[in-house]
Parts: sequence; structure tokens; C-alpha cells
Amino acid sequence: MQTNEGGGGGVGVGENYEIRLKGHLNARWADWFDGLTLTQESDGTTVLSGSVIDQAALHGLLAKVRDLGLPLIAVRRRKDQ
Amino acid sequence: MPGSIVQTKLYVPRRRGATVPRPRLSDKLSDGIDARLTLVSAPAGFGKTTLVAAWLASVPPPERLTAWLSLDQSDNDPRAFWGYVISALQAVAPAVGAGSLALVEAAQTPTQVILGALLNELNALPNDLVLVLDDYHVIDDRQVHEGMAFVIDRLPAHVRLVIASRSDPPLPLARLRARGELVEIRAADLRFTLEEAAAYFGDVMALDLAAGELAMLAGRTEGWIAALQLAALSMQGRGNAAEFIKGFAGDDRYIVDYLVEEVLQRQPEQVREFLLQTSILNRLTGPLCDAVTELDGGRAMLETLDRANLFLVALDDRRQWYRYHHLFADVLRAHLRDQRPDQMLELHRRASAWYERNAERPEAIRHALAAKDFAHAADLVELEWPALRSSKQEVTLRGWLDALPDEMIRCRPILSNAYAGVLFSRGELEGVDQRLRDAERWLEWTERADAQAAGMVVVDEDEFRTLPGAVAVHRAGYALARGDLVATVNHAHRALEIASEDDYLTRGGATAFIGLVAWASGDLETAYRSYAEGMAGVQRAGHISGTVGTVITLADIRVAQGRMHEATRMYEQALQFASKQGGAVMYGTADMYVGLSELQRERNELDAATESLRRSQELGEHSGFSQNRYRWRVAMARIREARGDLDGALDLLGEAQPLFMIDFSPNVRPIAALRARLLVRQGRIEDALMWAREHGLSVEDDLSYVHEYEHITLARMLLASGSRVEAAGLLDRLLQAAEHGGRTGSVIEILVLQALAYQTRGDTRAALVPLERALALGEPEGFVRVFVDEGRSMAPLLQAAAKAGIAAGYVHRLLTAFGAAEGEPPDRQNSMKVEPLSERELDVLRLLATDLDGPEIASQLMVSLNTMRTHTKSVYSKLGVNNRRAAVRRAEELELLSRIRTR
Repeated sequence: MQTNEGGGGGVGVGENYEIRLKGHLNARWADWFDGLTLTQESDGTTVLSGSVIDQAALHGLLAKVRDLGLPLIAVRRRKDQ
Repeated sequence: MPGSIVQTKLYVPRRRGATVPRPRLSDKLSDGIDARLTLVSAPAGFGKTTLVAAWLASVPPPERLTAWLSLDQSDNDPRAFWGYVISALQAVAPAVGAGSLALVEAAQTPTQVILGALLNELNALPNDLVLVLDDYHVIDDRQVHEGMAFVIDRLPAHVRLVIASRSDPPLPLARLRARGELVEIRAADLRFTLEEAAAYFGDVMALDLAAGELAMLAGRTEGWIAALQLAALSMQGRGNAAEFIKGFAGDDRYIVDYLVEEVLQRQPEQVREFLLQTSILNRLTGPLCDAVTELDGGRAMLETLDRANLFLVALDDRRQWYRYHHLFADVLRAHLRDQRPDQMLELHRRASAWYERNAERPEAIRHALAAKDFAHAADLVELEWPALRSSKQEVTLRGWLDALPDEMIRCRPILSNAYAGVLFSRGELEGVDQRLRDAERWLEWTERADAQAAGMVVVDEDEFRTLPGAVAVHRAGYALARGDLVATVNHAHRALEIASEDDYLTRGGATAFIGLVAWASGDLETAYRSYAEGMAGVQRAGHISGTVGTVITLADIRVAQGRMHEATRMYEQALQFASKQGGAVMYGTADMYVGLSELQRERNELDAATESLRRSQELGEHSGFSQNRYRWRVAMARIREARGDLDGALDLLGEAQPLFMIDFSPNVRPIAALRARLLVRQGRIEDALMWAREHGLSVEDDLSYVHEYEHITLARMLLASGSRVEAAGLLDRLLQAAEHGGRTGSVIEILVLQALAYQTRGDTRAALVPLERALALGEPEGFVRVFVDEGRSMAPLLQAAAKAGIAAGYVHRLLTAFGAAEGEPPDRQNSMKVEPLSERELDVLRLLATDLDGPEIASQLMVSLNTMRTHTKSVYSKLGVNNRRAAVRRAEELELLSRIRTR
């Protein structure tokens, strides 16, 4: 699992993250996850992707994943193109 | 704390209906009977709560007491958290909380003190006790975690902690695991085995499934209980279970989502609506549901859902309060948000209104914030502020204030002031000024109507009336924190001018600040009076202030005034009071023992002083103010000094230095000066000189109370290095200032130094003048070390005083502290030696022990009254007393009278 190292990210701009979960999550859950994009992958996983404002927000999202009992597979920070 | 909410949090869940027995898990729990901590860590819906509740029911009270606390987000405030924990324990063991609960409410009590008291109370329990903390994963406050680690470390053997959480808590689990003190039940343990799933479907849900179908279900759900339950609910009353299972097993969708949808679809519209709308609630009760749905029949609906096992958890025995299983609620909320986002806000608004009508303001605030009804939420926070202020729930308040848009706060003078108070109490001084200014600018408007037209919002009229005073008190505290004494006094006086007679909080706070400033300025009598009066006012306003903290401050002032007996009495009384608090160690008790030891040291009761320090240390660091670690070491250093171990004293001062904490009491004995004093005594004048230079001290300085000790030390240094003239000049000025400020202790010390200054010049006669004054001042209060600490040079001077008949008895006692009554080396500590009495003196003594008066004794001895008086005086001097009764007593001690009789 790769995560962002160092202190909190800057406020306002945010970083792009991908969170991969086991199981297919319906698009209705996008709002639950602060407006991230939900993509159902063919391998039976779901990827939540989008801008996360800072580390605290990232951990908040991970807590939501935990609370739904969705097995967490990977967290990746995407370098912006 | 709102009554109903507390009860639901403390309720031990009871399962209704059949359950699948899980002996392998119950056994695991029971076997770990020596484990301090049992951790049940698994994601939502794995049956943690059910398991723990069932296991607890297997061993009922009184053999084992069970306390339960269901945690939620709002418990992230340490005060709220520990308040609830203690309440939960108290509900089953009334002796717990006797002292600790009061500490939770007292101002400025550090958590460790509360926990120390709680641990003492737990220690005293005769029964076994289990405390369950359910949903611990909601806690993310670092202080709470630290407190938990502290408690776990010191948990008595008969107390066991069970934590149920969706993630491993940040506690020292590895350490506990390694020591065999941790029992863990994890997801792998909690998953239903095939047998258990079979029992569930067959026995509990009365569903007849083929082995293959069962296997598919178990496989798809991986034994996840919540999923199995939802599947069972989906299949009830369905004709073709096999088809459902095949469809379910072949679907990749998030199980819970899928299944909840299935379950929802199969409910009547009315039920579906109810579930969706009430999903926003943390807790459900009939009337609340009616308010949210704007229908009737909420209570009946809840009962129906309960009977149908539709994921309602009862929160009390009377089935008045429920909550949804978390997973179920989460899915429902997600559906609601997705389908009807606007309705969601409206539902929160309705819930907020109901809570407000039912006087549960914190919940009303939570819902108002969720409804994004910020103006209303701000109003509610403003109304709740007085309650939060007296219960010191700063974290909670901060959370609410941070959730409000800044404009909402800035247009409300009461909230702006409250925010300043919160920042101030957390030491975040930067934002304080701005917030106070926000409040002040509204107060500048002369016409209320104009202010309101300009956007000011005030909801709590009572608070608004006292606001000008409250802001002034905050300004005073802020000024004091920045060391601006003049501004502190100005603001405090202004607060007193504008506050009404019955505004005890404002008046008390302002008066206390005036006292603290007076202390720093050296006006000690004013300091004492004002501080005592101020704290009394604050207490009257209902704020249970740290009484012990007040005692320590007031005693410190009395010591500075040289009123040792009074200070001793204050400590002894306070320690007596503290010991009556049912075993709880009161905050600051350790400091009081340190204060007492300093007084005992001055009276040369060195063993007693050491014992006091030992008792202070025994109480542990958590029972003292943070400054106590520093004070303890300084006190011990001075005892070592008195015993002649100057190097040891310096070592301890070195230890003390980094432990110094800045608090509101003036730092009148800086550690560098304490050190320099010892250096002078060791004859290390060069080092002492360096200290003086480093701190820019000179005889030309203006004198002030805060620097008095440093200047006295400077005078010592000058005397030791031979600069007598300079020293004499400085001492004269210091004496004047000390006398003016009523600082008797300092006066005595200065007089002693003046006497020594003359003595070193060989002018004993001149030396006796200040010495006589010093002795006259010192005797009533029992000062000893202030004389004896001066070392060998004092002894001949004291002997000269005795010979001159000055305070003979007292001087004799001082000399025996040297052991120099017979010209022995002054640093010998031995018991009192008596110069032998002459025959005539023994005769007089014998008659003193009778009822005869002076003339009668003289006639008996056939001497003149004058001669008799001379003999009497000599007897007193040799016995080290100054009155007849004491002489007789002393004679009896020394068995002189019996000797007479046997002659």
C-alpha cells in the first residue's frame, strides 16, 4: 500500500488518490464518499478516485470504508498528469 | 448530562429471541480471565456487541459486576468521555465516582489526576468488575487514548476492560500481547462457521435450506453475520429461496448494499419510508420519529420493526429507545442522500427542533449542523455555552464553533467571547485578541437597535447582560498571560465597575486577577485578600474551582509574609479535608505536602520535612500540579543543604531546572539564584559572580518583589567577596522595601545578613542590633534555618546574643541546632546539651516546681528577690526556656527534679 508520506498536504488544492476496494459499489455511494468517482472494475473490485483535500480527509474516507465493512485492497496517490 | 441520553449509553444490550450459541468464543473470553484487556476487533456487522453481551449474561452480578458504555462521536472530549466512563461504573458500583466524578467537573484538573482518583476507587472494590466500551473506533482524540493507556497500565487485578471496535485502537496492544495480558477476538473468530450458519438459518430463522444452498450463502458472505442476517430476512416468506441464493451468490455487488435493497424492496411502502427517514437519527424513540416523519404511530412502528428483527437494537428495558445497527443505518443513509438530498436536510431540521423542544440541546445542535441550519445551530450553541463553560467541555465547544461559518460567530458577541475563552484555555493565544475585538465592537454600539440593524445577533439575554464584564475578565487574563500587569489590573477594575452585584463569576474572576497582580508586585496583603475573595466568588457562581489550588496559592503568599504558623495550619487543614474525600487523591495534595515540608524545614524539623516529601512522592506525579515536580526537587535540595550536603543540593537544582513550568504565580525564587546562593555558601565566588553578571544584577538596580531574592543573593555574594560597603548599602535598601511590603521572612533574612556584615568587621556590638530585631521577629513564627543556614559564622554571634540576655531561650534552641551550646563544632546535629546547674540553681528549680510565688521562694532560700531572679534567669537560660512552666517541664524531661529528690 502506497500512501503519501510526510505531513499534511496543502489545503485547497488537494492530491489525487485511488482507493481500491473488494466488491462492487453502486454509483449512489459517490456522495457518501465526498463526491469521489466510483469505477467498478472487471476483477470484482471498485476504485474510488479523485481529489482528496488533505491527510485528515483521506483518513476520514478510509474510516468510511472501514465502517461499511468493505475490504480495503490498496491506496495510491496519483501523480497529476 | 442529559438524563435520558446517559441511560441509553449505559444500557447493557439484551438479546431478544434465539441466538446461535458460540461456545468456542465464550470459552475464549472466559479463559482470558487474567487478561487486563479484551479486544473484540472486527468490522461492522460481525456480531461484536451481541457476543460480548451474551458472554456477560453468563456470569451475573453480584459475583461479577458489569458496566457498559456505548460510545459515540461526541465522546471525543476527555471530560465527556471520562465522565461517562465513571458514570457507567458508578451505576453498578456506587462507591466508584465518589471523588473522581467531582474531579471531572473541577476546573483545570489534568486527566491523570481524575484517573488516579478513579483507579484508587476501583482498587477499593471488593467485587470483580468488567467494563465494556462499545464502538471505541469513534474515538480519535489523542488525550482520550493516552488516558486509556494510562488506565490500562494500572488496572487492578479484579477489573477487566473489554473494548469492542471496528479497528485496532491506538493502545499498547503489542506490549499486552507479549505479556499475555490481552485476549483478542478478531474477524476470523467472529465469522460464522458452516455449522453456525446452519444453526442460524435452521434454528433461529426457521429457514429450511439445502446443504448446497447453505454452502453458497456461507461462501458468498464469508460468514459475515450482518450479511447472513440480511440474507435471512430477504428469504423469509419468499417462495423460491434457491433462486434468490443463486442470484445473490453470482452478484459482485457490495453485499450489504445488495441485501439491504432486497430487504427494503420487500417492505410495505410505509415501512420503507419510515426506515429511510429515521435513518438520520442516532437514537430513535416514538415521538422523535413522529416529529421526523410528520406522521403518527412511530412507537408502534418501532415495536413492529423490533419484533421483525429488522436491525433495531434496544437501548433500554422499557423499549422506549432504540438505534439501528450501524451498517444498516449507513446503507439507509446512503440511499437517502442519493435519492433525496434536500429531504435529508429537512429531516435533520425536524429532528433538531424535536430535541430542542425536549431540552436536549447538544443533540439539537448536532442535527442543526447536519441540516446546515447554521444560524439556528449558532443560536443553540450560544444558549448551551454557560453549561459547557461550567463543565469545562472545551473540546465539544470547539468542535461546534469550528463547524460554524466564521460570519455566524463574528456577528454574535457571546460566541466570539466564548471562542476567545476556549482558545485561551488551550493556550492558543494568537486568536484571542481578534475574537475579543469581535465581541467588543458590538458592545461599543450605544443603541441596541442600531447594533442589531448592523447585524448583531444575541439570543441569550442573561449572558449578554454580563458580557461586558466577561470580556473584561478575559482581557485581564490575556494581559496577565502576556505579562502586562498594568493592563491586567485596568481590565480587572473595569470588570468590577461594570459587573452587577450578583455576577459572581465576573467579579470573582476579576478580583482574583487583581490578587495575582498584587502578588507579582509584592503587595502581599492585598494579594491574599483579593485572591481569596475572588476564588470564593468564582466558587459561588457554581464553578467548582480547584480548592486545593487556591490553598496553595494563598499559603505561598502567607509564607512570603513570614506567617509560617498560619501557612502550616492552612496546609494541615487542607490535607485533612483532602484525606476525607473517600480514598480519592485530590488534585494538588502532593503540592501541599511539599509546601508543608518547606515550613518544617524552616523550623529545622528535617526528619518531618523529609517525611512530607516522601509522602508527596508516594502520591505520584499525577496528584500534583505540573509545577510540583519542580517544587519537590527544590524543597529536597534545601533539605540537603540544611544537612550540609551542598553538592547534592546543587545536583537536585540541576534536575529541577528543566521541569520549571510557567504559571500565574510570580517566579520569585529563580533557580539560577537558588544555585548562586549555594555557590556562595561553597565559597565559589567566581561562579556566583558570573551568575550576577549573566543576569545583569547590580547594586544600582531598582528593587522589586520579583527580584528580591536575586538581590539578597547578590548581597550575600558581595559580603562573601569582601565588598562590604556595597553589600551594606544594598541590604539597607532591601530592608526598607521588604518592610514596606510586609515580607517578614525576607526582613529576617536581611537583618541576619546585616548582623553578619558587622560581625565580620569585628563589631559584635553593632551586629547585635539587627540580630535582636531578627530574633524578635523570628521567634513567634518559629524560624530556625534562616539563622542556622548561615553556618559557622552565626554561632559566635548567637552566643554573644545569649550572653547579652537577648531572647535567651530562643537563641539556645538555635544554638542546639548547631550543636554549639558548649562551643562544639556547629555542624553537629545532636540532641540538646545542658550546662550543669549550680547547687543554688537546683534549689531554685526545685522550688519553681512548687506552687510558691517569687517572694515566697526567695524567703525560703533566704535570699533577696533580686538574687532569686538572677538565679531564675540563669536556670532558664541553661535549660533553653523562657518561662517557669517550661523550666519545670524541661527539668522533668532531663530528670533533674528526681535527682534533687534522691539527694
